[in-house]
Amino acid sequence: MSRDEDVEDKVTIALIACGPEYSGVQSEIESAVESLNAKLVYPEMDVSELDTIGRDFGLEVASADLKLLMARAKAIVEGRAKVDAVFVASCFRCAEGALVRNEVRRYIHQNTSIPVISYSFTERTTASTLLTRLEALTTVARRRHLLAREKQKGLTAGIDSGSTTTKAVVMRDNQVIGHGWVPTIKVIESAEEAYKKALDEAGVNREDIQAIGTTGYGRFLVGKKYDAQLSQEEITVNSKGAVYLANKQKGSATVIDIGGMDNKAITVEDGIPGMFSMGGVCAGASGRFLEMTAKRLGVDITELGSLAVKGIENNIEMNSYCIVFGIQSLVNSLAKGASPEDVAAAACYSVIEQIFEQQLQEVDIREPVILVGGSSLIDGIPRTLEKFLKVEVIVPPDSQYIGAVGASMLSSGYIKEE
Amino acid sequence: MPENNTDNNNHQDTITKLVVIDSDWVLPSDAAMKIYESETEVTVKETCFGLMVNGPTEAVNRAVEDVVSMDRNHIFVKQRGFPPGDERRCRAVRGGGPRPGYYFLREEVNMLPTIGKALDDYDKGVSVKETKKSKKLKTSKLKDIIESNVEE
Amino acid sequence: MAKVFIYPTNSLILYDLVERFGHEPLAMMGRVHEKITTPGIDSPPININPEDPKYGLKYAAVEVPSGVRGRLAMAGPLIEKAEAAIIVNDSAISFGCMGCARTNEMVKYMARQKDIPILELEYPNTEEEGKEFVYKIADFLKSLPGAKENNREGENE
Repeated sequence: MSRDEDVEDKVTIALIACGPEYSGVQSEIESAVESLNAKLVYPEMDVSELDTIGRDFGLEVASADLKLLMARAKAIVEGRAKVDAVFVASCFRCAEGALVRNEVRRYIHQNTSIPVISYSFTERTTASTLLTRLEALTTVARRRHLLAREKQKGLTAGIDSGSTTTKAVVMRDNQVIGHGWVPTIKVIESAEEAYKKALDEAGVNREDIQAIGTTGYGRFLVGKKYDAQLSQEEITVNSKGAVYLANKQKGSATVIDIGGMDNKAITVEDGIPGMFSMGGVCAGASGRFLEMTAKRLGVDITELGSLAVKGIENNIEMNSYCIVFGIQSLVNSLAKGASPEDVAAAACYSVIEQIFEQQLQEVDIREPVILVGGSSLIDGIPRTLEKFLKVEVIVPPDSQYIGAVGASMLSSGYIKEE
Repeated sequence: MPENNTDNNNHQDTITKLVVIDSDWVLPSDAAMKIYESETEVTVKETCFGLMVNGPTEAVNRAVEDVVSMDRNHIFVKQRGFPPGDERRCRAVRGGGPRPGYYFLREEVNMLPTIGKALDDYDKGVSVKETKKSKKLKTSKLKDIIESNVEE
Repeated sequence: MAKVFIYPTNSLILYDLVERFGHEPLAMMGRVHEKITTPGIDSPPININPEDPKYGLKYAAVEVPSGVRGRLAMAGPLIEKAEAAIIVNDSAISFGCMGCARTNEMVKYMARQKDIPILELEYPNTEEEGKEFVYKIADFLKSLPGAKENNREGENE
């Protein structure tokens, strides 16, 4: 959210969903949307369309609410309902709902330039879970002009206050000149430490910094502390940072960010996210799993990748994706004499397989595929991802600083012309 | 929002009934007038299908019974969960889209002339013939049809 | 007077016929009314909050989607109270409480599992079918204890 938030018009988000009212999460969706200065709308259509929507859309399902969902999507695509963004949602574990949700998401993405996300909820879904996703949706709808920025100018800083690590960069005239990377212990203190490191490396005084951008879990707290010009969720910031660092700002791209606690998969068009998924799937599919594996192998996390590329994952029997039971499988294998290389390879494989199965199905993979986030530095991870996707995976320079670079770059749009 | 409801609507003893009028001689406005004449405790809202009557349960039931008596077999009644104009279901407040139940209600309303006529007949003791639904064609029959068409 | 569960749970025609023949219809509108008039819950539009899908675990396991369990939490108590049921299959589509096909299958199953008189029939397409439809329902309702004649009899003439 930026400072000029309250003077902007409300973004209209079409909620096309099956089940939120009956799952008790309708009010959670509403409160998340309200906090973003946005408004939910339900596209109007002629109810008689429902008689033939199965044939018209092409997917014949039994549930009336899913027919309604498809008819509303059609009204949006045909321009009968004017909306800024679309949120497609259905119940978690419903096969019928998942089929419709994914096809509708794809249908809207392919036929309009309206940003769309899909989500499957349970009764435990809360407004705070939805907030980052919906914030990204409203940002794309509201601030295309901001996201159109392709170069950093002046002297700016970016701080990415993540769940596991805090990263900071200082940039000058389109170059990263200072870095800081520390584990997140206390949000503010860790941010200060990372920021100071970046300033020291850059050799600049903090008074000279012209604009600051923050992102990540702690973005609001850190943004307030440094009076940041921009505090923005990590989906738009990271996708912008990724295409910037990979020098792929024009055309399509897919950004995959494997973080310490959750992962993002984002289909990007000209640097703007069009479709994305954000999974707190499970800790077993996160950087944390790799960290624990490294600890068990008695190596530094930075060495895990070089081990993994030498190993063969099939030599290890993994019975579970779970961070507890998966690690147990690895430990058992070690006890039976498995090589650390094979174990490292199996850990990378497990993480990527899970992301592939549970998350990458929610977006359309378009080349180039840009892998970012701390885990991208573990060599086994991009290589395994290439095996799954059968395409080249690019890891841009400074890929672990992606959020900080994106925030720093975007914040330079707020530098006042002298 | 619930706090915007009147006290009446917040009470379990207050109900809303939807009266659908499919009569040749009773108009929704006549029915509304009839209620206003006798019941002072209820509020009546005219809709495209008929009336919504809201108020204390007993008064609503009395009012509805009065209206139904105007053309017994051609005026139909069901309860409605929400009171008329409740913001929680109001399309204007909630960002549009069809109200749940509207589509099905429209379908059922189309069927009411048939239902009304059947009730008239039932009351008069007119007998009914068992109707037969068409069944799927037997494969042997289909085979015959195919063969007779292919032979040409 | 018998408590008669109706399916579709929001049917105008079934609600009307059940009441017309002197019984108490058990319909979704009554449940919605109960929900929205429950004090202390503010979860618009229908005051279903995350507790309802949890209550729905009474009828379906946790791997069943929350929307199914939430809807079952609405329909289940009606079926529990039912002393008879009328199930009409093949009805026109209907959203909301009736918008989920899996829930609807389960609701009908739950009603059929009860040891109560049940009338099952199809929605009519023609006038003749409509007549048979009304006659069957009327006869069924009159067979239940405490039935009234169609109390609207004769008053039109």
